[in-house]
Amino acid sequence: MSRTPDQIKRAAKSKKRIKTILHNGLLAVLSFFWLIPIFWLIASAFNTDRGVNIRQFFPMNWTLDNFYQLFFQTDSVANFPRWFLNTLTVAVFACIISSLFVLMVSYTMSRLRFNMRKPLMNIGVILGLFPGVLSMIAIYFILKSLGLTDSLLALIIVYSASSGLGYLVAKGFFDTIPKSLDEAARIDGATQWDVFWRIIIPLSRPIIVYTVLLAFLAPWVDFVFANIIMTSRDTNKFTVAIGLYNMLDRNLVNNYFSLFTAGAVVVSIPISVLFIFMQKFYVEGVTGGSVKG
Amino acid sequence: MSHDFKTGDIYVKLSLLFLSIGFFRRHQIIKGILFSIIQIGFILFMIFTGIPNLSRYNTLGTIQFESVYNPITRRNEVNNYDHSFKILLYGLISIIVIIVYVYIHLKNIHTQRKLQWCEAEGQHINTFKEDLIQLKDDRFHITLLTLPVSGIVFFTIIPLLFMILVAFTNYDQLHMPPTKLFSWVGFRNFEILLTTGSNTVTFGYAFRKVLTWTLTWAFFATFLNYIGGIILALLINSKYTKWPKLWRTIFVITIAVPQFVSLLLVRHFFADQGIMNTLLSSNIPFLSDYTWIDWIRQLGLIGANREFVPFLTDPVWSKVMLILINCWIGFPYVMLITTGVLMNIPKDLYESAEIDGANKFQLFAKITMPYMLFVTAPYLITNFVHNLNNFNVIYLLTSTRVTSNQLLANANASDTDLLVTWLFKLTQDYYNYKMASVIGIMMFLLSAIFTLLAFNYTIKSNKEDRFQ
Repeated sequence: MSRTPDQIKRAAKSKKRIKTILHNGLLAVLSFFWLIPIFWLIASAFNTDRGVNIRQFFPMNWTLDNFYQLFFQTDSVANFPRWFLNTLTVAVFACIISSLFVLMVSYTMSRLRFNMRKPLMNIGVILGLFPGVLSMIAIYFILKSLGLTDSLLALIIVYSASSGLGYLVAKGFFDTIPKSLDEAARIDGATQWDVFWRIIIPLSRPIIVYTVLLAFLAPWVDFVFANIIMTSRDTNKFTVAIGLYNMLDRNLVNNYFSLFTAGAVVVSIPISVLFIFMQKFYVEGVTGGSVKG
Repeated sequence: MSHDFKTGDIYVKLSLLFLSIGFFRRHQIIKGILFSIIQIGFILFMIFTGIPNLSRYNTLGTIQFESVYNPITRRNEVNNYDHSFKILLYGLISIIVIIVYVYIHLKNIHTQRKLQWCEAEGQHINTFKEDLIQLKDDRFHITLLTLPVSGIVFFTIIPLLFMILVAFTNYDQLHMPPTKLFSWVGFRNFEILLTTGSNTVTFGYAFRKVLTWTLTWAFFATFLNYIGGIILALLINSKYTKWPKLWRTIFVITIAVPQFVSLLLVRHFFADQGIMNTLLSSNIPFLSDYTWIDWIRQLGLIGANREFVPFLTDPVWSKVMLILINCWIGFPYVMLITTGVLMNIPKDLYESAEIDGANKFQLFAKITMPYMLFVTAPYLITNFVHNLNNFNVIYLLTSTRVTSNQLLANANASDTDLLVTWLFKLTQDYYNYKMASVIGIMMFLLSAIFTLLAFNYTIKSNKEDRFQ
């Protein structure tokens, strides 16, 4: 039985519609599963019940008290405003130092030629193969012998001291800036210092934004290193991450779970927005860095 | 170097003893003063730190901490004890200082010889100001690298070397400075970890168990996520999908939330008394008195008298759950990474295959996957290495679980531990630094092997014409 062109077109159209529904339906179902923990996080943040809600997914009674308590009713366990300030201080300083370090190392490795260049890069690769937590213990003792543990200064040092190792992404970016630019400047009598500050840095805004944001975010999400450094368990010295982490301690979780979720919502929103904003750089960083080794 | 020394004048020869003498001779006064300070500093460092620590380096100290009550002062007085930890650390720093100093010294002979030559030939000798200007230009790499590299030396290299040395000592809870001494034991810790002899049975056993699970985990975590992520990316970028940006953002949100938030939540979600088990203990729709848990029990997936599903507490369940929960993070992550590469697959490859009558699955298996594997193989191996050390997922989800396997428990390990979380627990909770260091070295070797593979592949894969 032969079909008219009109019928064929209509069949194709309905086939396309079915496929569209199937595709989007499947994605909707997947998204639902993927978002369950996020829903639970937000729902628990508005729960009047302070412990882990195990009776039903959504709270019986909704309230804003958790957020109010988080900001205005601090106690010996939860001092969110203080943690926020601590983390902000650490993040700002660590971010400035490590961004500078990263840009300095990546520019050197990308643009300057000197004897030790290759050996230094190889050492960098080898150092990356050791588990970070291994050196952390020794770092703790070194900081302790300097009398620096339990201080924000120690955290700033830990987050920024070795940041030069993370130079590969920025180096990849610098490699793409045409060499003829600096050569022209050199002919006009510019020193390497001038080339760095007047030519390369102004041209590298995207990678600077990426480096700065990544360095700024690290103290907000790290709970391992901060936990090792802050041994006195004085909650006034906590960062947001270890403060929230601490709230889920076995002895505290029944009183602080909803407060934890409220705090988690408060820090997660800006972090997620920043991440979505810089996902493009992030992808370039991961793929570019790994391919070049 | 020796040629410079032989042909040099008296000042070059004397510079072997006095670092700065040549500079004074050639009127580089400021440089001379700086190098004098370096030499004096080195000598003082050796007297007060280097020699006292290095002289005890072979024993790591012999005088045990003692606290004796002194009747005259009526106080407990502490003897002048040896602190093994400080001896090990400062000794290591001394060795590094000596190496750097000897390097400066030898290099200096060459510099002095050059200065002598400049003077003899009537060449210009840089003033201090000119030297400084060079740091902004020809020697700019020194200006830029000094601070970052010293940061890395003090906070990565020295700690790592220190921990490597610890692997050859008996530094653990029974040998904790300052009250106790520890000393060198050679390769004994490696033996304990690698053999299953009679007295070392638990560590040898635990190491094999943990290593097997680490490799299994890394394999599944990498490849499941890889395939799932690519399928998700294909789905989102398909021409039938509306609002691809919206779907993408939804999935990206799940990785944008900090892991200590999302994973800790998931841990409580799947706890033994958690919300998931509450939901499962409700009735299956249309079947009265028959709950989901009953059904799971009848399938034989949980014990006959269990009232809940031990998602994160049973050895088998928890391993499966870890891999599944990791998919929750991994799919969006791989989707994010691979979307760009997928868009670059030449469209004509698909078109010609479709003309030849290939179906959707064949297109995926014969074109998409080989192409993706070809382009992203280095990333895949890097990701595998990353998963070998995937601390967050394992630690946040299962750090509180207790193992019922006594042999593992003796070695302070648990069924779901990776090498990295085991190492972390050994140091943070049990102060077993010697074994943690050995495990750290093993992890380095493991990562090194797979990274070398990645490097090898990148070099080999230079035949790019396969898909062009």
